[in-house]
Amino acid sequence: MTNILNESNYGLFFKLIFLGLLDAIGIWASVLLYFQGAYGFIVALLLGAATIHYVFLSDRTYPIRYMVPGLIFLFAFVVYPIGYTFYLSTTNYGTGHILSKQQAIESLEGQYYQPEDPVSYSFEAYKNNQGDIKLILQSNTGDKTYLTGGEELTEVNLGNERFVDSDEDGTIESFGDYELMSRTEVIGVLQKLQKWKPKANGVALQMSNLTTFDQRISRYEYLDEQDRIRDRQTGELFRPEEGTFVSTTTERSLEPGFKATVGLENFSKIFRDPMITGPFLRVFTWTFIWAFMSVLTTFVLGLGIAIILSDSRLRLKPLYKGLLILPYAIPAFISALIWRGFFNTNVGIINTKLLQPLLGLSPAWFQDPLLAKVAVLIVNLWLGFPYMMVVCLGALQSIQPELYEVAKVDGASPFQQFRKITLPLLMVSVGPLLIGSFAFNFNNFNIIFLVTRGEPPIVGATTAGSTDILISYTYKLAFGGQGATQYGLAAAISIIIFLIIGTISAINFHYTGALEEMSENV
Amino acid sequence: MKKALIITLSLTLVLGTVFAASAKKAGVLEIWTDKVRYEILKPITEDFEDDYSVDVELSQINYDDIRSQFNKAAPSEEGPDILIGAHDWTGELAQNGLLEPIIMSEDLKEEFTEVSLDAFTYNDSIYGLPYSMEAIALIYNKELVEEPPETWDELMEVARELTNPEEKKYGFVYPGTGDPYHTYPFISAHGGYIFKYEGGFNPDQLGLTTEGALKGLRILDKMYEDGLIPQGIDYSTSQGLFTEGDAGMWMTGPWAISGVKDAGIDFGVMKLPPMDGNQPKPFVGVNGFYLSSYAEDTVLANEFLTNYVATEDVMMELYEKGNRPPVYKPVREKAKNDPTTAAFLESASVGTPMPNIPEMNATWGALTDKLQLISQQKQEPEAAMEAAEKIIKEAIGQGEY
Amino acid sequence: MFNTKSVFKRFWSWFSGRGFKHLIMLAVLAFVLYPIIWIISASVNPVGSLSAQSLVPDNPTLENYRLFFLGGADKYNAPFLLWLWNSLKLSVLTGLIGTAMSALAAYAFSRFRFTGRRTGLLGLLLVQLFPQMLAMVALYFLLLQIGDLAPWLGLNTHTGLLMVYLGGTLGFHTWLLKGFFDSIPHSLEESAQVDGASHFQAFIRIILPLARPMLAVIFILTMIFVYSDFILASILLQDTSQYTLAVGLKLFIFGSYNQRWGIFAAAALIGAVPIVTIFLSLQDQIVAGLTQGSVKG
Repeated sequence: MTNILNESNYGLFFKLIFLGLLDAIGIWASVLLYFQGAYGFIVALLLGAATIHYVFLSDRTYPIRYMVPGLIFLFAFVVYPIGYTFYLSTTNYGTGHILSKQQAIESLEGQYYQPEDPVSYSFEAYKNNQGDIKLILQSNTGDKTYLTGGEELTEVNLGNERFVDSDEDGTIESFGDYELMSRTEVIGVLQKLQKWKPKANGVALQMSNLTTFDQRISRYEYLDEQDRIRDRQTGELFRPEEGTFVSTTTERSLEPGFKATVGLENFSKIFRDPMITGPFLRVFTWTFIWAFMSVLTTFVLGLGIAIILSDSRLRLKPLYKGLLILPYAIPAFISALIWRGFFNTNVGIINTKLLQPLLGLSPAWFQDPLLAKVAVLIVNLWLGFPYMMVVCLGALQSIQPELYEVAKVDGASPFQQFRKITLPLLMVSVGPLLIGSFAFNFNNFNIIFLVTRGEPPIVGATTAGSTDILISYTYKLAFGGQGATQYGLAAAISIIIFLIIGTISAINFHYTGALEEMSENV
Repeated sequence: MKKALIITLSLTLVLGTVFAASAKKAGVLEIWTDKVRYEILKPITEDFEDDYSVDVELSQINYDDIRSQFNKAAPSEEGPDILIGAHDWTGELAQNGLLEPIIMSEDLKEEFTEVSLDAFTYNDSIYGLPYSMEAIALIYNKELVEEPPETWDELMEVARELTNPEEKKYGFVYPGTGDPYHTYPFISAHGGYIFKYEGGFNPDQLGLTTEGALKGLRILDKMYEDGLIPQGIDYSTSQGLFTEGDAGMWMTGPWAISGVKDAGIDFGVMKLPPMDGNQPKPFVGVNGFYLSSYAEDTVLANEFLTNYVATEDVMMELYEKGNRPPVYKPVREKAKNDPTTAAFLESASVGTPMPNIPEMNATWGALTDKLQLISQQKQEPEAAMEAAEKIIKEAIGQGEY
Repeated sequence: MFNTKSVFKRFWSWFSGRGFKHLIMLAVLAFVLYPIIWIISASVNPVGSLSAQSLVPDNPTLENYRLFFLGGADKYNAPFLLWLWNSLKLSVLTGLIGTAMSALAAYAFSRFRFTGRRTGLLGLLLVQLFPQMLAMVALYFLLLQIGDLAPWLGLNTHTGLLMVYLGGTLGFHTWLLKGFFDSIPHSLEESAQVDGASHFQAFIRIILPLARPMLAVIFILTMIFVYSDFILASILLQDTSQYTLAVGLKLFIFGSYNQRWGIFAAAALIGAVPIVTIFLSLQDQIVAGLTQGSVKG
């Protein structure tokens, strides 16, 4: 508490506003969460709030206060999603399994069938002063009239004088203290009326629109103790098995299925299921080739230009440099979309203005797997080499010119100078950046997705395309719109990408000694 | 310290009220629609709001995203009550347990063409209120094609005369390279099919290697071989060629018409001419409104669809602004006066509905790939279709679709 | 004869010395500028289709730019300006708030010694290895859940997307800034603290002004990252009116390349201008920032 007193009023004021705001959000969210029954979230929320209060009111945790704003976002939008991704990778979540088990049971219990020769009933609703509601149901066969308050049906005779129809239009206006409800009033209680399932002759009636109740027999029932679903029509029993209710006696299974934990099933699918393993391995291999070739092509071109530009006698140097940096300055998504147009087989300028007139060729860029790969690499070269150029220029300048003088005296050819002096020295500073660039291109979603969309399709695959890299494959599995969505599988592939990137980065840290440096620092 | 506590508490109260007030309103009907339908539905949702004193929230969502967003949002009860979509989503969405059957009176059913309701039927329930249908037909440039071909042989003859790749002139184009949807007439003409229709589509009965399918694909193969169909054409390219007068005939659907009109091309539309006396049967796609099983109020949503959307005025507008032939009979009768619509309707009347079972998802990739190989002359139809069938069967067997 | 030979000789010596370098540069320039020139030409070409374009348009016009500002008018009805505004809004806000949060956290890591500091730094490093987009499915469901409690923070809102971006940009930038703060001598703040300033005041009055160039770089890197993001925005935004330029432009042009090429070219150029301007004017600082471990998206 001393801490609070020592601080200026200014700081105190902000601290209180901050904590007040936090408490407000916390309380409001807990109330909402409570009503939703998300008790786990409430516990997490309260723990988080308590921690933050502790941090802000205790002296010992003073430094942490600076991190609180950032940490909140980091935990909520990075750490938690990572954890959730791990969880998802162990589920069968996806097409056919997107409901919770409870929801699937409710959905099955909601399925109904109509008896043969179904009877439907038109209704009018009535309300008394207490707000109680009653319905008069008249069968379309004209021989039955019922009165109901929701549960029981009582057969009535509308000829009875307690039913008042003063304008004699056939619609009863009132009975007892019940008055006919207007349509708007009925709409106001729709939600309530839809839950009514009064039974006539053992068959439940249910509201099907604003004027009628229909006979509906619920098809399935859930047997709680046994955890089985029973088909009322056939008597068949179904047990839950990895997210599907399967019959205990026949081959039948029920739709919809539900979300269930399947352990490492998704991972074993990736490596064992022939339908997935094939496409996955192709995507996997291409991701590495793509990342490697991206780095190689941009680096070679960038370095070449940097060597030329580092010639101090060359005129127009600033002009060259200024123009060559342009592709890098343009947002990548814009470049990618533009290049997609250029590569269009029939109308794109690459074919119509360059290849066709000059060479008489008109390659089908996005239809041929190999050409599509070349196309994305060209696009990436265009927008990626300036980075390498700039990086190499910087690195070349830091190499001491005396080294070359010495080499010249020793009679080394320019090529030897390059191999023995330039490249090794360059690699010391540029090497980690190359690895960084590899890791970046490994997940370079924009270029792949916006230039080829991963197409053309891979033989035998339902989702993956020839130019898909792991990240775009994941995106298609989860958000593709075409074909089935498989969140579980998508999450499993995310985890695999994470492991690969982690390994690459570990190599990079080792290379740069970043971790060692940090240890010394602490 | 006391002061601090009081400030904190009062702030808490004030802000708590502010946040609480921003919570979601109840009793709202939420509709997901694309841009064209948005404009049409806007006025009737306002009517509905007035008549029923409920709030209708109309969200405009990119058409391609509706299906996947709905799949994710619905189970958390964050999705819409009503959404627009194509009939071939029915199987997948119903399998996921996200659709509620639409309750239509017998009289109302009578107002719609039978095929349009069949398209939305899955496991004996109707899951969509249809508003339009589409099937591809032959659009031709009257300046280039003076006499529309009466048979496929004539079509090839005309194509041969007009095609001159050097000058980028073509007789016959279609967004074809590997597109199973646009290529289906070749498969179906002599009786081929993807899934056999037996009152419903049977995912275990594939028909790609039937003699009927192969006969048609051999014609396709020959057309590519003779250079009568240019390689690597996508939709946009074929549209460019046709609207600039560089292509004589274009096999595609009603969505193309507004662009052709804008380009000022003098065009005609006709159903696809018979191949060796057999009518090519294009896929018929039906568009409609789905009802979510997680709708807050299914009766209200049903009411909106059956009493506000299924009316002549709205159906008329859906037809006129949507550029698709109507399925609502009263509108359909009027629409037949327009020769273009009449031709597309005729084409649809000889077509077969696109399978709405989820297994259909397993076919697109494999078929696309194999059809491409045929067009590039890398594989013969027999081998290509055998391979495609094998892949599709495996995928269905594994449940990977 | 003599003259020609000498000219040739001089040319050859120039060529083998520097001339061929100019030649290579010209070739590379052609590769780099070819698409840019084409897109500029397309944007002023009255014939809007891809197949009909020529390098030098016959009757150059600014019609496409006019259409851009009219949202494509009735013909396309695409709210370009709104998309651009959404992109700019999100990138500037993420830049400002993100930089502020990173600076605070970096200051703590740089100036205080506390238990868990090392773990914290390591954790930050590890978390940052996991590209946020890998958790796309999880992020989608997280915002879906949040939207249940507070619709203005959930899916399809800019506030929701902003929070996701903030979480994602934090790790790396904290590292970058911590390194910079480490290089500022402690003596400066210590003298201020002798005069009675608190830690926080010292941070605001002394450290922040000194770090201004670095903060600017972080701000701009964040901005560029957000402006260029496609994947998260496309997943987390649903309504056309909420789209960022990246999502909107992709939707606008995919599948309609041939017809919409002209207006797309204008939109692409206008969309590139803000970032290109900022990038070119602060080129050296940005590249310096980038080389410390990240590559522009």
